[in-house]
Amino acid sequence: MAQVVLREVVKTYGNLYAVNHVSLTVEDGEFVALVGPSGCGKTTTLNLVAGLMPISGGDIYIGDTLVNDLDPKDRDIAMVFQNYALYPNKTVFQNLAFPLKMRKLAKPDIERKVMEAAKVLDIVHLLKRLPRELSGGQQQRVALGRALVRDPKVFLMDEPLSNLDAKLRVQMRSELKRFQRDLSATVIYVTHDQLEAVTMADKMAVMSGGVLQQYDSPAQVFDNPVNTFVASFVGSPAMSLVPLTAVTRGTDMSLQSPEGWNLSLSPANARKALSASSDKIVLGARHSTVRLHKQASPGAVPGKVYTVEPTGDITFVQVYLGAAVVVVSLEPSVAISPDEPVWIEFDQNKMHLFDGETTMALKAA
Amino acid sequence: MSIATELAPAPGRRVGLMQRVVNHRADYLYVLPALAVMMIVIAYPVYYTLELSLFKTPANLQMKDKVYVGLDNYVTILTSQSFRDVTVNTLIWTISSTLISFLLGLCAALALHREFAGRGVLRAVLLVPYVVSAVAASYVWKWLYHSDFGVIGALSVQFGFTDRPINFLDNLYTVLPSLIVVNIWREFSFAMIMLMAGLQTVPDQLLRAAQVDGANTWQRFWHVTFPHLKGVSMVTLLLLMVANFNSFIIPWVMTGGGPAGASDIWITQIYQLAFGRQRWGLASAYAVILFVVLMTLGYFYVKALTRGDEARA
Repeated sequence: MAQVVLREVVKTYGNLYAVNHVSLTVEDGEFVALVGPSGCGKTTTLNLVAGLMPISGGDIYIGDTLVNDLDPKDRDIAMVFQNYALYPNKTVFQNLAFPLKMRKLAKPDIERKVMEAAKVLDIVHLLKRLPRELSGGQQQRVALGRALVRDPKVFLMDEPLSNLDAKLRVQMRSELKRFQRDLSATVIYVTHDQLEAVTMADKMAVMSGGVLQQYDSPAQVFDNPVNTFVASFVGSPAMSLVPLTAVTRGTDMSLQSPEGWNLSLSPANARKALSASSDKIVLGARHSTVRLHKQASPGAVPGKVYTVEPTGDITFVQVYLGAAVVVVSLEPSVAISPDEPVWIEFDQNKMHLFDGETTMALKAA
Repeated sequence: MSIATELAPAPGRRVGLMQRVVNHRADYLYVLPALAVMMIVIAYPVYYTLELSLFKTPANLQMKDKVYVGLDNYVTILTSQSFRDVTVNTLIWTISSTLISFLLGLCAALALHREFAGRGVLRAVLLVPYVVSAVAASYVWKWLYHSDFGVIGALSVQFGFTDRPINFLDNLYTVLPSLIVVNIWREFSFAMIMLMAGLQTVPDQLLRAAQVDGANTWQRFWHVTFPHLKGVSMVTLLLLMVANFNSFIIPWVMTGGGPAGASDIWITQIYQLAFGRQRWGLASAYAVILFVVLMTLGYFYVKALTRGDEARA
């Protein structure tokens, strides 16, 4: 296994930056998720590491080797694809043996390695079958096995679970994580599903528009999103964002809504708001840090229930605060109905403030 | 509610063919016009050819004077030296035309599969031979091959390959290969189109997987692309083969089967027997033999076409 370093990596198509100066280091044995919406450049980044497309600028190191100009086969990587990409005319055994055969290993070695991988993945009984005779989960294991037999420096995975049904996906998620831990494998894992990233990755790289937005542990990304994009992308349901205007009255500072209500800020939050580039502030709050009142209450601001979504153990309520939507989680026992007037109270210690102009998270000056 | 459903037997009960026909008589009524046309234009000629093949026919087209000879016509054909010669010619013609057209088409399809400037134009140009009239093309090629005025002969002299123009079409040994070249020129783009369509079904991810697995260009073709083309290749080869067994225009227009039968193939032979020498019975027997061969190929063609369905079922 090895470290992977991306330094100012660029991929352009004409004037379009598909990957825009991305720098990050994947430590040896680390599981890193590249996550972002469709078209954010995450798969392109992965393909650049794999060498499946030429790099436009910057450097990629795998281990100590600069791999910019190396062929995929010389990079000592293995890749798992979204559609499994199993060779349909080859049996499971032949599929697993293929990368070894291409490397001209001796037959007994190939057989030994394939059997080892098959045992680890519990697919020994499938070795003689063709891919089309396997279920989605089994195909996924074979695809993983084909990566395993190589004993590569880095595993690259391109949305490997997104073709599985929801239940199997959850199961494979934990299995995949377990393998990675057991092998202490270096894994770069592309997904558009932030939940996969949060649950599996040691670190997640959130991308948008070809730009790396934040690269940190899932907990850090969740607790301290660097900007409104990351805040709204990570977490389910996403962080609620309310655009407001900062108003100073004497020593007190408050956030004012277009509808006219005011939300006083604690001194710590006031200091953060002061560091903004203008008086435009975006208030961010996770559903679990917001309280809902059925009566007017000091410090709470008025809104109106839009939808109620019971999920079983938690009921999510979407509340309109003027034009902005705030999601609140409630005990399922609380009776509430759409269009009901409610009051929302934000936790001053857990709220996030973002610069309305730059979208960046505000820190105390 | 239609008659058919009213009279349909209870499920699970076995019914005879006639009963089923009666039960579905309305359905048969609907297909009757089409069936009648087919009977007249296809079934009757087939039957009449079969019948004629068992008779010795007079040259004057007075078919009422024909004499029943049993399988004599078949015996005459199968034991004749000319049948053997023509069959050898036909096999050479068919197999080499089919294989070389297919391989050329495959190369062209692979070359045109990757993107480059002018691809669309090149694709259109390569399609021209397949689109132009075979008769016109045959005349043009006849001129290209001409011993006195032909471009090919002139160029081969100019470049010093030969001392004087080769008489391609009037030479026992060069005539068949020369015609095969024309045939390949005409039909390789058919293979190209078929295979280009096939190539588009090869999943990109599979090729990438093979690339990561360490396969070079040739290995990627052999392990990923080619297996994907198996089905379409089978169909293409069979269609080409049937077309080549049935070839007529190019040899007929360019040489008429000559010189001395050196470019005679089954269809030109049948044509000559029937319309040149008025030996209708013999020609019919010949046609029946060809029919059997083509039906055999047709059987494999349908099998190749439906194989995928069975695999999926």
